[in-house]
Amino acid sequence: MKRLTALLFSCAVLAGPAAAAPTPQEILSASDAVRNPDYAFGLTNTLVEYRKGKQTESNVLAIYSKADPNGGQFRSLVRYVAPARDANKLILYNGKDLWLFDPSSKASIRLSPQQRLLGQASNGDVVTTNFARDYKAIDAVEEDTQDGNRQTRRSIKLNLAASNADANYHRIEMWVEPGSARPIKARFYSESGKMLKTAYYRRYQQALGTERPTEVVIIDGLEPDWVTVMRYTDWAKREVPEAWMQRDYLPRFKPE
Amino acid sequence: MRRHAALLACLLAASAQAQEDVDALKLADEAPAVVEQRSDWRSFVEAGVGRFVRRADGTSQTSRRLSLDVQYEHTLSQKWSVAFADRIDTSWLPEGGGRHSINTLKEAYASWRPLDDAMLDIGRVNVRNGVSLGYNPTDWFRRGAVRSVVSIDPASLKQNREGADMLRAQRLWNGGSLTALYARDPGRLLVAMTQKIGGLSPQLLAYREQSQPVQLGLNLTGLVNDATVVMFEWAGGRAPSQLGDTTTAWRDCISTGLTYTTASKLSLTGEFHYNGAAADDAGWNRLRAGPPLAYAIYRNQVQQAQDLPTRRELFFHGLWQDALLPQLDVAAMHSTDLADHSRRSWLELRYHAGRTDLALQWQRSDGRHLTNFGALPEARAWQWTIRHYF
Repeated sequence: MKRLTALLFSCAVLAGPAAAAPTPQEILSASDAVRNPDYAFGLTNTLVEYRKGKQTESNVLAIYSKADPNGGQFRSLVRYVAPARDANKLILYNGKDLWLFDPSSKASIRLSPQQRLLGQASNGDVVTTNFARDYKAIDAVEEDTQDGNRQTRRSIKLNLAASNADANYHRIEMWVEPGSARPIKARFYSESGKMLKTAYYRRYQQALGTERPTEVVIIDGLEPDWVTVMRYTDWAKREVPEAWMQRDYLPRFKPE
Repeated sequence: MRRHAALLACLLAASAQAQEDVDALKLADEAPAVVEQRSDWRSFVEAGVGRFVRRADGTSQTSRRLSLDVQYEHTLSQKWSVAFADRIDTSWLPEGGGRHSINTLKEAYASWRPLDDAMLDIGRVNVRNGVSLGYNPTDWFRRGAVRSVVSIDPASLKQNREGADMLRAQRLWNGGSLTALYARDPGRLLVAMTQKIGGLSPQLLAYREQSQPVQLGLNLTGLVNDATVVMFEWAGGRAPSQLGDTTTAWRDCISTGLTYTTASKLSLTGEFHYNGAAADDAGWNRLRAGPPLAYAIYRNQVQQAQDLPTRRELFFHGLWQDALLPQLDVAAMHSTDLADHSRRSWLELRYHAGRTDLALQWQRSDGRHLTNFGALPEARAWQWTIRHYF
């Protein structure tokens, strides 16, 4: 469906002014389809964190994601690969239902959405997210912006407002490439208007049938020298049964 | 004029932000390619050295220990996997008292998965139930499971325990699961079912040991808001009291509380613990004033069962990750016995340096003569530990 939306959007842009222009929400959906396939999949997310120019932490996570048939938001099963002290710990992200399983203690611990498991990256940054599910694109304007390769590019700027209680941010500004709807960057804001972080989407490569960003650079809004680099590798289509998306399956989850 | 100044300020701010982004992107360009292979192993060696003050005579003694902890899990095929976990703790007794080693076989079992949503395990399995942090009434397999106490940290007590030989079957479905297990020695049967109902996923449990009456249990969690989780854990059934009465009565055990997390990675937990099988306030006072042997037997039995010696306790736990500087975790714990007002506190600073953890732990217990925490042999203690993962 998302691929179809992306196709329709591209056709509309190519056909010129005679065709109906895509709505801001359609552009947002097309942008989601660039980041994520519309079927269950697995990947490896490698996070490297810097503070004041110095590497402070690195994590490697094996992630399986599957969209909820009711609502469309992704649920994810995560297994730590590194660092060694966290290896084989498991996390379930199912909306606001978050559980951590530690194989050492055999304990399943319920987490609140505010409990961050990695340095600066929020839970929503780490796992797969469909922005169109939780945000309403209010408007779309064309403007020049700087991309992740430090080049000035023509873009469409979308203003997103949280549309339900599952949204992690109050407001998002997102810049996407005209025509392809490839995300270029996004700025995330709190309810008080404070900019929380900036994310650059870059290093587009072929993955699961289309070119997708394989690196996201997250810059903290308050401490700009706090930087997290997330790299995605090992993309693969995976069968993920619905029964796996619960706490009691966590101890059994072993990604291939 | 004022409008021009505001415009200039906006332009300067935008320019500064653009430069910060450029600096961050340059840094990201140089990020190393981290390649970590998934490993079936998770093992560490840990050495600890410290001092403790004996409550009996106020003398101070040295403690030394060395621990090796090994975990292994391997997938043999799509349907078969094996798991193994073992730990050896060696401690040196004070004043040249010799060396003492304890081996804890935590797990050694084979797992068969005939279907994506059905599994069968056979062998030594470490089963742990419960959603609370400091006291788990539904964790019936905790009884006698801890062979070597190296720390009073609840995480340590949960990790360093022996499994039980059993057959365990599990069936999963969309939003729920059913687990049934039978442990041969001394004949223990446990059935647990979880089912998602609206936003809640309650877990119901039934446990029977030999010919004792069936014990029931409930585990429930919920979100108050995005920063707060509430936990409720209950176990109840007809059982003899911990005082060794032969008559049985209905007894409830409860652990309930909440965890609040701030935006700066500080998680604070407060819990109320209730043990209906323990001595009541009057019974506890009689026990403390009675024959020392009866008191010692009671404390020993309660310690083996990892239960509370009195009815009511308040428990607090705090964990601040990346406190003050990255990779430094500060953890604190405090328990107050509401029957005799004795207290125990514990504090840990833990620094993660790559594959090595350095930790400083401190604890103290206070209370009147023969109270819950006032009777612990160590009045104060501290310990340095170094742990290396390989």
